Amino acid sequence: MQITGQLALTVLMGIFLVGVAAWLARVENWRSYTPLASGGGGAHGTGHAEKPSGVIRWLTTVDHKDIGILYGFFGIISFVVGGLMVLGMRIELFDPGATLISESFYNSLLTNHGITMLFLFGTPIIAAFSNYFVPLLIDADDMAFPRINAIAFWLLPPGALLIWAGFLPLGDIVPAQTAWTLYTPLAAGVGNGNQANAGVDLLILGLHLTGVSATMGAINFIATIITERAEEVTWANLDIFSWTILTQSGLILFAFPLLGSALVMLLLDRNLGTTFFAVEGGGPMLWQHLFWFFGHPEVYILVLPPMGLVSYILPRFSGRRLFGFKFVVYSTLAIGVLSFGVWAHHMFTTGMDPRLRASFMAVSLAIAIPSAVKTFNWITTMWNGKLELTTPMLFCIGFVANFIVGGVTGVFNASIPVDLILHDTYYVVGHFHYVIMGAIAFALFAGMYYWFPIYTGRMYQRRLGKWHFWLTMIGTNLTFFSMLILGYAGMPRRYATYLPQFSTLHQLTSVGALILAAGTIIWAYNFATSWIEGPKVQDGDPWNLEETGMHTAEWEWFDRKIETAVTDGGEEESVVADGGGERDDA
Amino acid sequence: MNEQPGLSDQYRMASPWPMFVALGIPIAELGVLFDVFPVAVAGLLLFCGSVAGLLRESEYVSSPWLAMGVFAVVLVGIGVAFVFTDVKLVTRGYAVATAGVVLAVGAVGGSLFLPDDAVV
Repeated sequence: MQITGQLALTVLMGIFLVGVAAWLARVENWRSYTPLASGGGGAHGTGHAEKPSGVIRWLTTVDHKDIGILYGFFGIISFVVGGLMVLGMRIELFDPGATLISESFYNSLLTNHGITMLFLFGTPIIAAFSNYFVPLLIDADDMAFPRINAIAFWLLPPGALLIWAGFLPLGDIVPAQTAWTLYTPLAAGVGNGNQANAGVDLLILGLHLTGVSATMGAINFIATIITERAEEVTWANLDIFSWTILTQSGLILFAFPLLGSALVMLLLDRNLGTTFFAVEGGGPMLWQHLFWFFGHPEVYILVLPPMGLVSYILPRFSGRRLFGFKFVVYSTLAIGVLSFGVWAHHMFTTGMDPRLRASFMAVSLAIAIPSAVKTFNWITTMWNGKLELTTPMLFCIGFVANFIVGGVTGVFNASIPVDLILHDTYYVVGHFHYVIMGAIAFALFAGMYYWFPIYTGRMYQRRLGKWHFWLTMIGTNLTFFSMLILGYAGMPRRYATYLPQFSTLHQLTSVGALILAAGTIIWAYNFATSWIEGPKVQDGDPWNLEETGMHTAEWEWFDRKIETAVTDGGEEESVVADGGGERDDA
Repeated sequence: MNEQPGLSDQYRMASPWPMFVALGIPIAELGVLFDVFPVAVAGLLLFCGSVAGLLRESEYVSSPWLAMGVFAVVLVGIGVAFVFTDVKLVTRGYAVATAGVVLAVGAVGGSLFLPDDAVV
């Protein structure tokens, strides 16, 4: 039986490889390569077109803009998957018992919601913006290593499939229930549960792939920003978004390879009998240290570029330059450095040495300073400005508001005595969701709306954009403020069931989640229909940035693109910039 | 110059290799980790072959066969180490070494029948 299986697999793999080779032979003529000796570049005699057409274009593209769009689609699909997972959890939590789904399925959803949102939505959707816009902002032809860029993207779909494999009908494979932190000994498959199952191995492998992808992307961005800038783009006038991407890439470079190594060690513990994280070996605490040495910088990997987006977009609709630009850059760098010195604040209750605890508390509190510098700079940029409450601007303001709540609750968490009480309660969940959903996702939505005309050539529907913002703002605050109160009341996190006294707050949280879902459906409908049939943007300045001297490089590029494009008739109504006509109401 | 250029010669912003490099890594990892011989061999072949093609395309090497030969040597080395040292991952070692041998055969065959400089 086993030999038949092996034989079948061998034949299958053989057919697969022959298929790949045949396809490659069809699209690629290896003999046509220009020999190196002839100098490459410009020597191509036959064709100069940029990309093939149809599906092959998207499978083979190495253009940074196309790869940005691929990242964007991938991120949005993941956002939908992760969102459906959490909706399943929140609907289950409408009542105290495990009525709708089993506790173990709840645990699986919880694990995969976290991993999906952080690794398959957060990091890729940031890469969507950086791929599309960093080369435009620094006036580079493309990324420094276009093919590495494509490899980094194509690692993500197989990674996602491996991470979600437990939910697919694949024989005995069950989804992981380890939570995204993969704490040992549970994640090492020790004990009587079912976490020695291959589903956990597949999830770890998938996570490893997304880490490799992020590292490749980071190396590429560092090389691109340092070496590919146009002459007129100096360190002094490099835009704020590229600064944050550069810093983020530096963090990825130090954090993700460590995650990759720790994951391989965990796989070896699970499959080959090593004892890196076993009690008789390195001990379970080793995993927590390694994981959080990656895990906390990961938070800043996710938040710095969205902060860059807000710093970039907010001044455009305030009619003023970013207040204290230099200090925003310095605070970005400071957060980048400090982020590696705070990891053990996740472990205050593990019984670690109190002297170590105190030093981690000090650094954690210190990180509030550069964060506050940024917040003050955003507020002072808006102060006495000529605010235009367009949808991207609303999301930027929402970012600042939610970030203040998320940040201040974090300061309390960083304090050891407070943390000892609140650790492992819903307070922590509320705190980090204020940052991740309330701030990071808000900034990403701001970016999607702000640059919608560039990557679609069309304008979205303004009214739906505002509905999306307000539903998201209300939903976020209802959901996560309820969580903060639940935490104060003593509700522990990660449970599928709860005591009846928590019912009302849990129901409020779930209603908030449904409001968020409604907002998200509106957003998806708006983007899909506007992309297909929205009014075409006629000039390269749909936001009227030239009036306030805020026009930037990517819009100049867009303007050139429109001018050189062949016109296809002026039938469609011309676009009115979002919010332009509504300033009186605001 | 050949009459019909390939994809990456005809189009400035396209390359067929990255997707297969990215596909080769997870297939090889799955095969080696779960000790599934054919999957491990296929994944390593796909990965190393695609990287060789990519190196040639971007003109970091003058011939894909040489790059494949280097990969073959590395894989055989790792495979032998898996089999004969204290690591004792015998079956996985055979898989890695087999992939190396197949690559070596491919590299020799390719350089004999499809020499890269024959078309200049």
